[in-house]
Amino acid sequence: MSDVVLAGVSVAYDGAPVVWDLDLSVASGEWLALIGPNGAGKTTILRAIARLVPFRGAISIGSRAVTELSSREVARQVAVLVQEPQMPVGMTVSQYVLLGRAPHLGYLGKESARDRGIVREVVRRLSMEELASRPLDRLSGGERQRAAIARALAQQAPVLLIDEPTSSLDVGRQQSVLELIDQLRREQELTVIAAMHELTLAGQYADRLALLVDGRLAAVGPAAEVLTERAITEHYRAQVRVIQMNGSGTAVVPVRS
Amino acid sequence: MRMHQPGASAKLAFRFFAVAFVSVFLVASCGGTPTSSTSAPASHFPVSITEPSGAIVTIAHQPHRVVSLSPTATEMLFAIGAGSQVIAVDDQSNFPANAPTTKLSGFTPNIEAIAAYTPDLVVAAEDTGSLVHGMQALNVPILLEPAARNLDDSYLQIKQLGLATGHSTQADSLVASMRSQVGALVASVSKPARRLKVYHELDNTFYSVTSATFIGQAYKLLGLTNIADAATAATPDYPQLSPEFIVSSNPDLIVLADTKCCQQDLNAVAARPGWRAIAAVKSGHVVGVDDDIASRWGPRIVDFMRAVASQVKQIEMAA
Amino acid sequence: MTATVTVSVVSERPAALAGMPRLPWPWAAAGLGALVICCAVGVLVGPVHIGVGAVVQALIGGQVDPGQANILWSLRFPRVVLGVLVGGTLAVSGAAYQGVFRNPLADPYLLGAAAGANLGATLAIAFAPGTSILGVNIIPLAAFVGAGAAVAGAYALGRSVTGLRSATGLILAGVAIAAFFNSIQSYVQQTQTASIRQVYSWILGRLVTAGWDDVLLILPYVILSAAAIFVHRRLLDALTLGEDEVTSLGIPVRRVRLIVVVAATLGTAAVVAVAGTIAFVGIIVPHAIRLLIGRSYRVVIPLSMLFGAAFLVLADAGARTVVAPAELPIGVITAFLGAPFFIAVMRSTRAAAL
Repeated sequence: MSDVVLAGVSVAYDGAPVVWDLDLSVASGEWLALIGPNGAGKTTILRAIARLVPFRGAISIGSRAVTELSSREVARQVAVLVQEPQMPVGMTVSQYVLLGRAPHLGYLGKESARDRGIVREVVRRLSMEELASRPLDRLSGGERQRAAIARALAQQAPVLLIDEPTSSLDVGRQQSVLELIDQLRREQELTVIAAMHELTLAGQYADRLALLVDGRLAAVGPAAEVLTERAITEHYRAQVRVIQMNGSGTAVVPVRS
Repeated sequence: MRMHQPGASAKLAFRFFAVAFVSVFLVASCGGTPTSSTSAPASHFPVSITEPSGAIVTIAHQPHRVVSLSPTATEMLFAIGAGSQVIAVDDQSNFPANAPTTKLSGFTPNIEAIAAYTPDLVVAAEDTGSLVHGMQALNVPILLEPAARNLDDSYLQIKQLGLATGHSTQADSLVASMRSQVGALVASVSKPARRLKVYHELDNTFYSVTSATFIGQAYKLLGLTNIADAATAATPDYPQLSPEFIVSSNPDLIVLADTKCCQQDLNAVAARPGWRAIAAVKSGHVVGVDDDIASRWGPRIVDFMRAVASQVKQIEMAA
Repeated sequence: MTATVTVSVVSERPAALAGMPRLPWPWAAAGLGALVICCAVGVLVGPVHIGVGAVVQALIGGQVDPGQANILWSLRFPRVVLGVLVGGTLAVSGAAYQGVFRNPLADPYLLGAAAGANLGATLAIAFAPGTSILGVNIIPLAAFVGAGAAVAGAYALGRSVTGLRSATGLILAGVAIAAFFNSIQSYVQQTQTASIRQVYSWILGRLVTAGWDDVLLILPYVILSAAAIFVHRRLLDALTLGEDEVTSLGIPVRRVRLIVVVAATLGTAAVVAVAGTIAFVGIIVPHAIRLLIGRSYRVVIPLSMLFGAAFLVLADAGARTVVAPAELPIGVITAFLGAPFFIAVMRSTRAAAL
């Protein structure tokens, strides 16, 4: 089981509280989108789950508290896709994806043939064989995002944390990246928690949305319940029209008064 | 350009006159018989002295508050009987023992600290830190006596200091005595069957001196072959020699001028890798000299030459 | 639980995926070849001519002129071996510092190792001349201790200021410590003018005085340092990711950084203690390897050892032959050979990659 449960979680940076007393549970295999205005604490929650930042309260993955796990064990449970992955100059795609095997190696361990085989399978699954020996700095934006997903996938962790997966991509690439994540989630029964700023896409791909405001949970539920004109106007200070599209989700359209 | 013409020509004329004056004066004082046998007659002043650089220094009255920033000049001043006129010497001036050593530095001179002694003559070896400019601004005469290239340079400096302090007579007799002692030492070293080879060491990373230097001239006078002369093409004065070159040159005599800086002696040299094979080490002709004597160009060069000559005689005797 | 990822690993050997990190064996062979050739040059050239035959005879224990045997065994061989150790260590330590600090300008002296060594040596020369501890001259010991103290000080300062969250804090702490140590060193040097000559010739890098005792003195540290950095080469690759990304892979970033910095400092301190500060090797060699061969530390670390050693032995051969029988400071040669070569490499590879 790889459900993620947060109970009474608070995070502070240098004494300044960023997340307050948060309760949230994500079922195994579910896709939860964290939405909310800039600075609401979306990234901080992801960092807390991956234990990249100290927190108060309890976070558990598959009923084990993350604080009881070693950092290598956490890394075998949770793969993190940061908003702007660092793409080391000159590093090939294969080499980069291979780094995802780190949690499965000892401190000074060496990748085995099995590790290399897993990388090969992941690269094949993402149709990146042609790019395998290409340096990361010579990839397009969409290819980079796929490489980052491949690296996270090679980690073989049941929980995938994604911070803004579609920033700086055009609408077509946004869709193909999200489709890919969704397919992988279904194939491999991944639990996905993603901070998303594109509300329409969040509503279309996530099972549930959690709206965060000033480090507190303002609403959580399916898109149709959370994405209301009132809530968005109030919390984002935006002029929007929310349109329910038959069978295609909820569209949030900015309007100019 | 035209604006500067009159000034420049006036300067030139002055320099010309002054050179002529000093030349005449020097000839008179060197060649002539001394008129007074006691301390220098104050009537000789003012005097003008041409430095090796060509600059002319005029000293109006006999100085009684001399500051020396050059250890060599300090040794010379005391040797010609001008010591009582010296009120302060720099921190490196450690000879003679009664020299009034102060914290003044000749490497990084502090104009204000020097001025605090209200000197009426400053002697230095180098114009570092705008020393000359600073002293001229204070109207204090400053005489530069830079590193000598040979004994004649050294003799001339002693005479100039004699002139500047009113001790020409003593300076002349000191030079005469040095000349005769050096001559005797050179004569005492008989023409050997083969020329002996010498290695002079400045520090324990094998910096040495060639015959183009003051100390190298002393070896030349004593008829020694200086192994460092092989390196003059690229480094004419103070080459750093390869140890394998020193070992294969097999010098008969090793002179260590790094006894104080680097605590070198026969044992230390013998302990160096490969050096036991050198003739000088095998026969024990590794002589330590006072680093200071070997790096100055004062009257004690005679002592240095005597020490070297005695080694040369021992080596010849053993042969 | 991790079995949720359904990846079928075929039992028979799968076709290797392109672009996997590995040390390209032709380059490894080239590095070994370069080292052998440079060592051969190193033992064959010098102000004293010794023929190939004599060198071979000396090595296999045959009949050699005792004078030549003395020069070979007492002076040239230890000097070449010391050059191998010093060059390899400086290049590997430079590569390691660049990896740990993600800073292409990092060199082994970045955290104050040179400043500390210079201060230690200057203090020993000025205040305890000629002393030795357990039969070892105090100057290299003091230099070793000084280098270690400077880096430890930088580390402690960096940790107290930034909690080591960023490498930049550590670098700035190193710069501050180096400046502080340099100022004390200059003060001591200015006030103890009697020892100024020895201090200067100590600070200028040199292999002139190399002997077997120097080799033995630094050998344990150099081996330990190189081995520790070598086994961290995979982790150094991981450190090229962002801080959060490395940590989320379960890699203890601070521990890796501490161990690698300690190892590189140990090697650098040992090398500085016997050879003084030799610049450029630690920057030029690893970067030339990155530009020409590959950026993975699995490539950079082993090849830096080989090419760094070869480069320094060659530079030292130049130092003792260009103006023979005089010596040139080796730093003059490393910069004179290294800088144009490095510029040529940068131009030919159109390095977008620095």
